[in-house]
Amino acid sequence: MLRRVVLQTFRQGLAQSFFKRNAASLSESAVTQHPIETSEEASEKSGSKQKNGDESGNTVVVAPPEFRFMYPEFLPDPTMERRNKLKEKLERMDMLQRRSIIEIPEFYTGSIMAVTVADSNSPNKFARFVGICIQRGGSGLQAWFILRNVVDRQGVEILYEMYCPLIQKIEVLRLERRLDESLLYLRDALPEYSTFPFEMEAERRLNNSVVPINPIKVKLRPRPWLERWERQNLQGVEDLNLPQRYYDRAKEVAKPWEKYDLMLQYRKTIPAEEQEKIYAEVHSQLQQQDLKRKIKRRRGPSSEQ
Amino acid sequence: MSTLQSLNGSPFLLGFLFNHEQVRNMSRVKRRNTHPGYWLPLKNVQKKDDKISADNLRFVREVIQDKYKNKSPLKGSELQIEKTEWDPKTKRSGVIARNIGRQQMWDKAGNKIVCTVLHVLDNHVIRYIPPEEYVKTSRGAIHFKNKTPLGCLVVGAEATNPEKFTRQYCNLFSEVGLLPKKTLSRFIITPNAALPPCTPITAGHFLVGQAVDVYGKTIDHGFQGVVKRWGFKGGPASHGATKFHRRGGTIGTGRDKARVWPGTKMPGHMGSERRYNRGLMIMRINMKYNVIYVKGTVPGATNSMVRIFDTLLPLRKLKEAPPHPTYFPPEEGTQKEEDIWDSSLHVYGSPSISV
Repeated sequence: MLRRVVLQTFRQGLAQSFFKRNAASLSESAVTQHPIETSEEASEKSGSKQKNGDESGNTVVVAPPEFRFMYPEFLPDPTMERRNKLKEKLERMDMLQRRSIIEIPEFYTGSIMAVTVADSNSPNKFARFVGICIQRGGSGLQAWFILRNVVDRQGVEILYEMYCPLIQKIEVLRLERRLDESLLYLRDALPEYSTFPFEMEAERRLNNSVVPINPIKVKLRPRPWLERWERQNLQGVEDLNLPQRYYDRAKEVAKPWEKYDLMLQYRKTIPAEEQEKIYAEVHSQLQQQDLKRKIKRRRGPSSEQ
Repeated sequence: MSTLQSLNGSPFLLGFLFNHEQVRNMSRVKRRNTHPGYWLPLKNVQKKDDKISADNLRFVREVIQDKYKNKSPLKGSELQIEKTEWDPKTKRSGVIARNIGRQQMWDKAGNKIVCTVLHVLDNHVIRYIPPEEYVKTSRGAIHFKNKTPLGCLVVGAEATNPEKFTRQYCNLFSEVGLLPKKTLSRFIITPNAALPPCTPITAGHFLVGQAVDVYGKTIDHGFQGVVKRWGFKGGPASHGATKFHRRGGTIGTGRDKARVWPGTKMPGHMGSERRYNRGLMIMRINMKYNVIYVKGTVPGATNSMVRIFDTLLPLRKLKEAPPHPTYFPPEEGTQKEEDIWDSSLHVYGSPSISV
């Protein structure tokens, strides 16, 4: 009984939090799921914590549903042939170890970030790069993201592996989302949309629970382009102004049935029950690390004074 | 004509005209065995629908539990192992492991190292066959035809429910008092590395920094065409090519010995072959979960079984004594180190690298 309640709240919470995070409204209050704890009743079967903790009546820890968006790299690669629970567990332990050293903040495609990397070739041995995150991917220790900026009228993109020990600091200067999951079209857009000053300072978040969506529509340069953008259903791009035959051919080539293909979606994602288990496992450690950093930040300026 | 005949046997000209010799050897070797030997006991239960009542089924399970109840794996202190010395010519036992995937790590200079994660399953020694006995078996006679005979250690891994196996197969283990294992393997060892039955072998059997050979069966690609299997170039994709894009083309000449030579490269079964990846360095060992991280890749798909043993490569062989004959955890329960890393690796909990 309790299990069903837990699942419902997680899934409902998933949907709720998705809409909330996409809404730019400030009136919504923060949704924080407190860990659901039941009193420790005398249980006949003392099942393992991970397996059926809720059924046996022991403490049930459920991570907030936002974790699915904040820490997507904790979910493993969904390809069934390559999955192994022990290996994923060991990898998660290593990831948490690395996160205890540096803060890898929450970010999305469209956020403007600054990364400091140890570089033997640069004058002060550290190289700092500021850019907009155009794509992120990988799972586990192979998680990566690409930052793009235009430096001296030359577009530059750098792929950073999030868990590489050469990275000294990752800062999010502006946390926001765009209308698309991948901003690769910025390569064919006017350079002003990819230019961000290196001296940019971190902007304070107005509302901690909601990540604003930037509804900007980007103007593309005239053709030729690197990809056929008219075939990709881009939301964040202005009207492409192409002759009608391009749109006709895009319609012929399109696969509109894919959005109804349940098995395709199933194979591309990790089921909700597994996601719960994974985030429940890492949730407490991540919260502790977050808390420690907040305390350090508060103590930092006060200790100086 | 006479010049051609005289030059017929010359390897240089043969290679120059057509390379039949090499092709024949490569493709005529017996590459895979899809069935076990007829002399081995039947392993899996053939008839699965046994029409017995639920009560009787429960009774059968109780009997199995009683039979294996007191047979818990022995600790190092309870086993009677003779103290033998390790020397560079000793051949130790190997280990059966499962390839559970790949994980990347970084070294202290910031370079990425891709390691294969091998999970050492619950290995137990089933039997030791001394050299005099092993030479008399058919396999041993072939192996040690003109050499000094060595002993053979039979190791099993992954204990499973006895209901899945036949009685003959379970008897192999019940003499020793172990739950039947899913996988069995033989390791050729020198007599000074012999181990008594029921000895557990764990990941601590190896040292961090040593080189190992990993034996496995490659990924099974099934029936494959000539382009993927042998790397042929096929034909042009366009320019009017009629039904000739991924085919082999000619399979022989018309003149000399006008027939298809045995060993000609053609489509067929690809993969599922015995291979050794030699000299792989062990970068990290996790004693708690019995996991070894090996630098490089290993034959076979993820979640397949492999065998690991000390390397035969002369320049990478062990110079210092490893845990001989095998590793036993210290008596006082907990060990000193749970996770042992190679000195060149960057440990995840340590501060970021500053070059």
